[in-house]
Amino acid sequence: MNTNQDAQELAKQELTARLSLIETMIAEGRQTTESWGWTFVLWGVAYYVAIAWSTWGHSNFAWPVTMIGTSILTAVVATRMSSKHPETTMGRAIGAIWMAIGAALFIFCLSASIAGRIDLQTFIAAVGAMLGAANAASSIILKWGAQFMCALVWWVAAAISCFASASQSSIVFLAAIFLCQIVFGGYMMLSEARERKSPEEKSGAAHA
Amino acid sequence: MPDPVSESAIELPELNPVIHGKLRLALLSLLSTVEEAEFTWLRAKTNSTDGNLGAQLLKLEEAGYVEVEKKFVLRKPQTLYRMTQSGRQALTEYVQALKQLLGAAING
Repeated sequence: MNTNQDAQELAKQELTARLSLIETMIAEGRQTTESWGWTFVLWGVAYYVAIAWSTWGHSNFAWPVTMIGTSILTAVVATRMSSKHPETTMGRAIGAIWMAIGAALFIFCLSASIAGRIDLQTFIAAVGAMLGAANAASSIILKWGAQFMCALVWWVAAAISCFASASQSSIVFLAAIFLCQIVFGGYMMLSEARERKSPEEKSGAAHA
Repeated sequence: MPDPVSESAIELPELNPVIHGKLRLALLSLLSTVEEAEFTWLRAKTNSTDGNLGAQLLKLEEAGYVEVEKKFVLRKPQTLYRMTQSGRQALTEYVQALKQLLGAAING
């Protein structure tokens, strides 16, 4: 009787261990923390470079050259980094959003800067609305409130620039870049570093 | 008066022996969370040796639960594994069977 009970207990323990193994491995697989904070900071700096170059350098090539250069740099670094991590469905969904919005932004910025027919306020409104959309979609997937705040900042900047003067719109645009690219990117990098050290601390920075 | 439900009357499911192996179960669980995974990533996550990992992955491949793709990325060879639809189905059935057996063990 005792032997039978012991055998049953052993079998139960083994089954529990198997279930626990599945849960542990699923959690391990989802801990694939990708690092994307650096792209926010990089693109924030790139926007500042393009703005400064086009304002003081009076060059029509400022935006196209900066955007193409930053795109190539992002693609090269991302390819090298992503080869270390497997792709998750969520990661692919977020990547798709940013690639689609990035392509739209690139085509718009390139065409607008070459054509020269769009005023600064319209340009800022369009860019702000697109960046707001990308941040909002990404934040909804990640359930990350901090990124949704970025979306709101971009949308507010887009709305303000529809009513404000060119100089006021520029100030709003520079402030939005600082908050949503530099500050948020820095915060994201810190969150990613923290999650790599202690994986149980989860924020939206971890692309499951 | 209804018949009492005896232990023998409960149909307990059998556990899939291909999945039941610890390392194979760990591999399928890991692969269920990602689109595809590199051999080195699987090795790091499971703390297994190259030989053992390769042998267990081959068994899963032969059972049709994973598929393998070999390619070169930046001139380096890369072996990628992804879970197949039947692998996902088998893992789901395994978890259901496990829960059923555990339920029976707790109630019994």
